[in-house]
Amino acid sequence: MNMSFLRLSIWVYLAIFFAYLLGPLVIMSVTAFNSSAFPRMTPWECLTFQWFAELFQDQRILNGIKNSLIIGAGTVVLSVAMGLAGALMLTQVWPKLRATYYTIIIAPILIPGVVLGISTLVFWDRINRMLGLGADSVLSNGIFLTVIGQSTFIASYCMLVLVARLQRYDIALTEAALDLGATHAQAFRKILLPFMRPAIASAAVLAFLASFENYNTTTFTFGEYPTLTIELAQKVRYGITPAISALAFIIVALTVFFALLNEAKLKRQELVAAARQKATVEELAGKVRLPSFFAGNMAAVLLVVFAVATITVVGTATAYNPQQCIANVKEQKRLEAEQRIQELRKQREEQRKQREAQEAEQGAAQPATPRPSNNSGFGNVFAPNSLGNDGNESDDATPETDDAPAGNGGFGGVFDPNSLQGGD
Amino acid sequence: MPGFLKEFFNRNGTGMGLTILLLVLFWTIGLIILPQLSMLDFSFRPNLPPPEIGGPKDVYTLENYQYLVYGPEGGSQDYNSVDLRVFFRTLIAAVCVTIFNLILCYPIAYYLGQSKGNHIRIFAMMLIIPYWINEILRAFALRIIFGETGVLNTIFVGLGIWDTPFDFIRNDIALYAGLGYAYILLMIFPIYNVIESLDHNQIEAARDLGAPWWRIHWRVVIPYAKPGISSGCTMVFMLSAGALAAPQILGGPSSLWFTQLIYQQFNDNNDWPQGAAYAIVLLVTCILFVLAMMRLFKVNMGDIGK
Amino acid sequence: MSAGIGVDLQNLWIRFGDFVAVRDANVNINGGDFFSFLGPSGCGKTTILRAVSGFLEPSEGNVLIGGKDMKGIGPNKRPTALIFQNLALFPLMKVWENITFSMEIKGTSAVQRRKRADELLDMIALPGQGDKLPSELSGGQRQRVAIARALCAEPDVLLLDEPLSALDLKLRQHMRTELREIQQRVGITFIYITHDQGEALTMSDNIAVMRAGVIDQIADGKTIYNDPATAFAASFVGENNVFRGTVKRVSGSEVLIATGRSGDLAARISTANQGKLREGDEAMMFVRPEALSVATDGMSGDHCINVRVKHEEFEGNVFNIFTEDAGGKEIKVSLPNTGQSFQDHTGQTITLEYETRNAVAVPAGELAAE
Repeated sequence: MNMSFLRLSIWVYLAIFFAYLLGPLVIMSVTAFNSSAFPRMTPWECLTFQWFAELFQDQRILNGIKNSLIIGAGTVVLSVAMGLAGALMLTQVWPKLRATYYTIIIAPILIPGVVLGISTLVFWDRINRMLGLGADSVLSNGIFLTVIGQSTFIASYCMLVLVARLQRYDIALTEAALDLGATHAQAFRKILLPFMRPAIASAAVLAFLASFENYNTTTFTFGEYPTLTIELAQKVRYGITPAISALAFIIVALTVFFALLNEAKLKRQELVAAARQKATVEELAGKVRLPSFFAGNMAAVLLVVFAVATITVVGTATAYNPQQCIANVKEQKRLEAEQRIQELRKQREEQRKQREAQEAEQGAAQPATPRPSNNSGFGNVFAPNSLGNDGNESDDATPETDDAPAGNGGFGGVFDPNSLQGGD
Repeated sequence: MPGFLKEFFNRNGTGMGLTILLLVLFWTIGLIILPQLSMLDFSFRPNLPPPEIGGPKDVYTLENYQYLVYGPEGGSQDYNSVDLRVFFRTLIAAVCVTIFNLILCYPIAYYLGQSKGNHIRIFAMMLIIPYWINEILRAFALRIIFGETGVLNTIFVGLGIWDTPFDFIRNDIALYAGLGYAYILLMIFPIYNVIESLDHNQIEAARDLGAPWWRIHWRVVIPYAKPGISSGCTMVFMLSAGALAAPQILGGPSSLWFTQLIYQQFNDNNDWPQGAAYAIVLLVTCILFVLAMMRLFKVNMGDIGK
Repeated sequence: MSAGIGVDLQNLWIRFGDFVAVRDANVNINGGDFFSFLGPSGCGKTTILRAVSGFLEPSEGNVLIGGKDMKGIGPNKRPTALIFQNLALFPLMKVWENITFSMEIKGTSAVQRRKRADELLDMIALPGQGDKLPSELSGGQRQRVAIARALCAEPDVLLLDEPLSALDLKLRQHMRTELREIQQRVGITFIYITHDQGEALTMSDNIAVMRAGVIDQIADGKTIYNDPATAFAASFVGENNVFRGTVKRVSGSEVLIATGRSGDLAARISTANQGKLREGDEAMMFVRPEALSVATDGMSGDHCINVRVKHEEFEGNVFNIFTEDAGGKEIKVSLPNTGQSFQDHTGQTITLEYETRNAVAVPAGELAAE
């Protein structure tokens, strides 16, 4: 009883945790398909692909992607090279220097990104001036500065990934190659590099992703070359549109795709290795009979499902036309708005009548009623209606309240509960 | 030292050895040490237009640091209460985010580290995938959820639980959720790595001796996982104190993050030395704080990053 | 046998900081020899091998290969090939690629390399296994691939660093004969590093016994076994009963040693120490268990020892008798199994005897650790 309760609570916790982790991404992806001008899941208006079209027409986004790719490529090359050199040095550095050296190359991970960006900017600006170069020199070029600034800490990540693999490397392999006549460069290229290839691939992917998503450092160094992340940040800070959701959806989809692809590949390598173990000599020389690609490979199956889903969606997108639906929603909104105006008029009319009636009554007894009490009376009458306590009208009122800040005109001010409370 | 260098070149060959050495020197000295020193030097200089740099007015001064404490010279207040408040608020909030993340992630890291089976691989993938997605987009996703007309408000108001939309952004809830969200992976992985190497028999033995589950964690698992926990906490603290994107997107209009002040000094006020001084203050304070915490909890620097 | 390329070490010193790994080594290795360095782990034998193959610069002295000084010549330029203790087969290359790596470096075409690999695979009795990965082979097979890879480089000198230590006993014994056969077939110089005296004795033409960076003795196996130059060589190679004492009398090549509890015992001074032992010197005397026999009752003299039998053991080809003398010192006796019925002496006091020429006296010195 106690154990099963514990087990249940673990699963509930896991569910909540992953909901926190993945929920935002799912919601964001879904909003890319809602025709509402503000990225939202509810109320659902119309299925649309217009935000994707809008995304691909945004020159700043496209330019940002281009810059990000250039900077990413530069950062991958520089940080993997430095990370590998740093890792090789770590395995053979003088023991007394080792701790200091390790602290230095690990420090960039802990230094805040803004600090790295600033120090890069300040330092290279100074070098630039010392060399007497102008503001348009390579050293003050945004791409150069960003690659340098990002590589400072991304190389540390690469170094950690590479050193983990390097620790399993038997230095005798390099010695064996040298002993058999290879030069140091040949031994590096033919023995160490192939051994390190999986780790180098991981480090390169990591470096690219880290570069692609970096904001804190890049925001100080990008100069004339804003990356995608910088452009996104500008957009998000000054108003958000579902076009960003569309971009996010594409990135999520690509990520899931490559994750599945990688998983399927790993699984396949396992299966191939297992098959080789069982294979006879003749089979090895010729062709090893391999299990079919999908046998026992869950990730591969998922990959295919994913691909089919993508094709379906793209197919739908080309054939689908949400214009009618959008028009309907617009029409509906217009009707709601009209209805709302009429209700408002009606209410005002009633209130006016009520007030007149009151004033008529009170006027008989106390002709000079002070204005403030009128105001408060107005508010008290008004509030319950707008908050939807008022019978069948409330169903219409609630969504309208939500729409208000997104720009449905003057109603926002009137129906904003805050303003009512403020007036109270 | 020459002996070490000679052995180094013997082992790697002249060409390869030189390449490795140059790359490492470029990285450590050219990218890490010199820029930091340069920034430190810069923070002690007045803000001058380019022609005057190196001129007679370019002398060392403490004015950039004084500004943080006392505010502008001849200002109305004795202390720069705005900037100082932002500074301490940033540090305290970063500590809160770290603690929140630790509490959230420890059970997950423990579960992943001690369970066997295929589903662990899937969980690991689900953990990593969000981190392959842009930091800005992650913050954006949270803004969709926490916005005034966002998912949460729509749901709660729609269900009638709340009367009025709750302003998550103005109340900084969105910011804390976003910062916590951003660094979950950095907390989980170091702890997971350590707990994975903990022999399950130790836990079984403790359970066998009749220890309740919380005591097992307190006496067996947590002491063992201490290097991982401190590593994770250090990274989350440093990164959330130095975060810029999440505060810019998820922060309320009135509540600034210290990095935003630095950003303003650089981009809006164009006062680089002032920004550098602020950056130095942030860096040094964070490092001192981490070192103090490490001493308090008796952890070694060498465990970080493992 | 062709007179292959020999190796000479001249006044070789190798230091790591303050630690002296090799102290003034002088060795002459003839071309075409199977030469072993024998010693306990940490004695510096692997260091010597690394100096010969070029991975280490000697601190002082010279390494000559074929009479040519190797100073400043890297491992990839030396006519040596090394077989590593852990073999160091390239894990990501197939067996045939491993074997012909030295040809790949020279830019030989894949077709030719494949042909050569198949020849070598036939030679090491692994025909058709070229497409496997090293991890798919058994320990003994990997061993042979490592040898083929080294031989493919056509070295003048093959260096082997305890290559059999990872194998199980049966395979190790089989590989000994195989290695010796290969060496005789290719006729090049083999330098073999081992801590296993059985390996050294069975395979080598000559052996250098090493202790803590110092070469104690260089000789063929029989000489080292029968005529050790130092206490260490005597105690490290094969089993030996050791008696400590002072020299009481020297007469020509024989000596009388006062051992105290075991009485005065006669011994032959080992060849390397002729004329070096004088009256009053501390000395050690070694008698092999198989050189001792049970004396007939009533015998006594300077080649007899009275002992009490502790227990006995039957090992198949020999009977082992474990005894102790009056001082409690253990003495082991091995008697060949001649098929006669064996008389149990446990608990009895008996007299052991030996021939003086089978007891070797050397100056007192460090013994090999048990």
